[in-house]
Amino acid sequence: MRLNKEARKVCRQLFRSSFTDGKLDAAKTSSLVGSIIEGKRRHYVDILKEYHRLVRLEAAKTHAVIESASALTPETGGKVENDLRARYGADLTTEFKVTPELIGGLRIKIGSDVWDGSVRHRLDRLSQQFSQV
Amino acid sequence: MSTILQDIETQIAGLKTSTTKSNTGIVREAGDGVVKIEGLSDVMLNEMIEFPGGLYGLALNLEETEVGCILLGDFTEVKEGTEVKTTGRLLQVPVGKSLLGRVVNTLGQPIDGKGPVKSDVSYPVEKVAPGIIKRKSVSQPVQTGIMAIDAMIPIGRGQRELIIGDRATGKTTIAIDTIINQANINKANEGKADFRPLYSIYVAIGQKNSNVARSIAVLEAAGAMEYTIIVSSPASESATNQYLAPFAGAAMGEWFMDNGMDALIVYDDLSKHAVAWRQVSLVLKRPSGREAYPGDVFYLHSRLLERSARVDEKNGNGSLTALPVVETQAGDVSAYIPTNVISITDGQIYLETDLFYQGIRPAISVGLSVSRVGSAAQIKAIKQVAGKMKGDLAQFRELAAFAQFGSDLDAKTKAQLDRGQRIVELFKQIQYKPLAVEIQVSSLWAMQNGYLDSVPVDRVKEFQLKLQDYMATRKEPVLAAIRDKKQIDKDVEAQLKAALDEFKTTFK
Repeated sequence: MRLNKEARKVCRQLFRSSFTDGKLDAAKTSSLVGSIIEGKRRHYVDILKEYHRLVRLEAAKTHAVIESASALTPETGGKVENDLRARYGADLTTEFKVTPELIGGLRIKIGSDVWDGSVRHRLDRLSQQFSQV
Repeated sequence: MSTILQDIETQIAGLKTSTTKSNTGIVREAGDGVVKIEGLSDVMLNEMIEFPGGLYGLALNLEETEVGCILLGDFTEVKEGTEVKTTGRLLQVPVGKSLLGRVVNTLGQPIDGKGPVKSDVSYPVEKVAPGIIKRKSVSQPVQTGIMAIDAMIPIGRGQRELIIGDRATGKTTIAIDTIINQANINKANEGKADFRPLYSIYVAIGQKNSNVARSIAVLEAAGAMEYTIIVSSPASESATNQYLAPFAGAAMGEWFMDNGMDALIVYDDLSKHAVAWRQVSLVLKRPSGREAYPGDVFYLHSRLLERSARVDEKNGNGSLTALPVVETQAGDVSAYIPTNVISITDGQIYLETDLFYQGIRPAISVGLSVSRVGSAAQIKAIKQVAGKMKGDLAQFRELAAFAQFGSDLDAKTKAQLDRGQRIVELFKQIQYKPLAVEIQVSSLWAMQNGYLDSVPVDRVKEFQLKLQDYMATRKEPVLAAIRDKKQIDKDVEAQLKAALDEFKTTFK
């Protein structure tokens, strides 16, 4: 989908004004979305879609997805959460996922950064090294 | 003591937990060899991006929330939602002497079925050209073995000489002839003390596979492959690979230059290269300009051709000579890409369809062809015999057009016309048979000193071929003297005169 120039400009303005102290403000975003829906300006659906995308990408920066092969015990989970908050700031939200394909270890994704300590990843790397030789 | 041990133990333990941090993104759009990726917050321009299955891409467009990336390889497997990661590396190709005799693709992987390329050095595909401090002016010749070029449009090591002309006018032939001649010279002088071999790289961009195969067969038959690298990105390859092929070839050539050797690179051809880059740019949604080429199509070719240089002794004293080829449409040199490349290069060899069909092959148009720096690199012997030839020939063309209107010509004009016709005949040369410089000098000397004036025009070629035979079989010492002295002194002149007088009596 190609957004027209004006709609993209509006989007960027909306996005810029949805921050308070450098952080996304839930109250602001919902009121902005509400006003756009009420205003029904040109291309408002496209604008909202693009705005949603920008907010989603911004929100992902402070959201950690922690994947493990089997469910983590509450203590381990808590420890990981605390460590991550110490590194990425206190407003980090977390989400635990069970992915048996990992075989063992953890895989943590925050924004576009991925910390991979899973057995699957190491096996993949090994197979890559072998195929290069 | 125990603390040291503990320290080592913790370090070893740290090694085992191999958690790696990587920067990832998700493919949002894929098509035509170009993908849009969301994420990749740490990506750098021109960085390699790793796709699952050993596929790599290059990040070319860095936008606010997306990255435009071109794929190097089979792009049909990439789907929306695929996770990719940055590598922190630039695209590199293997370089070195082990590539000689091989046919490789854009990424330096062999495609000739002769096993893997054993090379432990790699060069980045995009590299900044040597600056002014490192450079030295062109002073050594590249003998193309084509008499018309060596005599009138000389090329020096480190020069960039454009070969331009319509389709089927013999552009590739000139390039192949030059490569064959380098191999001949390299073989003849192998092991000599201060001899500098010239290695060749032939980059085929967007050509028919059959054409590339034919060129390879010619080079193999002439025994030139052992001094040649062929980088092939035929028409069936993706536009991305076609766009990168000349840069990969340039990287291979730069290795020779950096290591104090001389190399010659042929880009065949840059019009197709521009078309490939136009396709890549358009699918990347970059704004287009004249003839829908992107705005940086000039920079594309200038940064490529700037990498050909002659560097000074402090920097290895090597050189990289470029022979870019550009195809024109209906002889129009003022089209976009031809004018661009003409202005970047140090001269051009212009081939004309009319001349080609008149049987003047190579169909070099003397009036429109120039070499801006090469004359400094010409050896003295050629200068002595061919100094005025270009002027004579240009004058002849003018007179020939004029003489068609009247039949009464004064003796001087007639002599000029006669001489011109014979020079044209002399410069005709069959393909894939480059001539050694001493042979060229002896033929040109014969012309200069009037030995051909009494030969009928239609027998000039026969005279020349027989003379070549005669010189090579009976007067080898004269040729050797020209080769070694690189000039015609009194002694050589006397020998040449004696030889020609003797030959003239036998030629009936």
